[in-house]
Amino acid sequence: MAEPEVTVRKAGKDNVDVVLENMDLSLVNSMRRVFLSEIPTVAIDLVEVEANTSVLADEFLSHRLGLIPLDSSLANELEYTRDCDCEIYCDKCSVVLTLNAVCNTDSTLDVYSSDINVAVPARSDDSIGRPIQSSTDERGILIARLRKNQELRVKCIAKKGIAKEHAKWSPCSGIAFEYDPWNKLKHTDLWYEVDADKEWPKSKNCDYEEPPNLHDKFDYNAVPRKFYMNVETTGQLKPDVVFERGIHVLETKLAEIALALSKAEEETDW
Amino acid sequence: MSGDVSMADVSVGNTEEIAVEDDKMTILPGMASDGSAASFKIKDEDHTLGNTLRYMIMKNPDVEFCGYSIPHPNDNHMHLRIQTYGEITAIEALQKGLRDLVDVCDVVENKFRDEYNKGDYVQEEIA
Repeated sequence: MAEPEVTVRKAGKDNVDVVLENMDLSLVNSMRRVFLSEIPTVAIDLVEVEANTSVLADEFLSHRLGLIPLDSSLANELEYTRDCDCEIYCDKCSVVLTLNAVCNTDSTLDVYSSDINVAVPARSDDSIGRPIQSSTDERGILIARLRKNQELRVKCIAKKGIAKEHAKWSPCSGIAFEYDPWNKLKHTDLWYEVDADKEWPKSKNCDYEEPPNLHDKFDYNAVPRKFYMNVETTGQLKPDVVFERGIHVLETKLAEIALALSKAEEETDW
Repeated sequence: MSGDVSMADVSVGNTEEIAVEDDKMTILPGMASDGSAASFKIKDEDHTLGNTLRYMIMKNPDVEFCGYSIPHPNDNHMHLRIQTYGEITAIEALQKGLRDLVDVCDVVENKFRDEYNKGDYVQEEIA
């Protein structure tokens, strides 16, 4: 088999569109699975509510806070709390954020994710744990609206984690994944009323592959070779970083197994 | 049935599990005494690694069979079975599979990095 080929078709602030060729479906699928659920990021995991007189219940508010994307480019510098020596949380394994808002006016006060502050920028770079803002002039995600005399005073503890544990840690909001857009391999059975060709819209990836020839016999030896993947991130990590860290996570898994295997091999002494 | 090979005829190397201290990898009982066939139990792994590792090991012409399973969805471990033609041991086949997969990952990562840095594609505006 020829060497793997990677083509970037499109890239932006929070998505990258790539075509992967000469690879096996299993490997591309491993990459997809790792990007979605095994890249470490930071997200709010503990919320200490000092005051909440808003209409939202504490647990409802905590859940909303947890889902806010936080800058995770330096997530690898953070320890997992479970591996840390501290009792509950400390600077090595968490980032503390605060949200304080009181409405004093007759009109409602909107509280946005940009109102969250990193309490102690302990690390050299204070980008870690900062709520993501897609542009400087916008205020981020609306968390709650306060009426006159309502108040929010919460301390949030953001921790490192992976999306296998909770989806809030996923750096990807979605990954588009396709192969064989003409369905030449017959891996899908397209349901139809009268004619599947007319009723199903063609994928834009069809332009990148030869349409099937009606007179060709079905090639039962054919395997998928070209994969179209669009990685869309939540902003926690840049899309190219997701790609690289994802592959690193995969390599780390392999290295762990290789290490354990060499230990197990020593035990086999016959 | 005289012509049949019963299980007792197959020389078995281990009847107990061989586990390393952190339990990441266990060699399940019933490894062939010449090492040509073995089953591994790998903790905390699933289809993400199982399928692609299986594929990589099967690519090796010295390997007769490689398959993986997740015995039960509630248990977070994966079983990997390797049988070779006897030229190499199952452990060596697994080691080679792991090495090859890391090499492929490196190639893909480098190619992506080069392509991405080249900037030869549609770039959406970056705010």
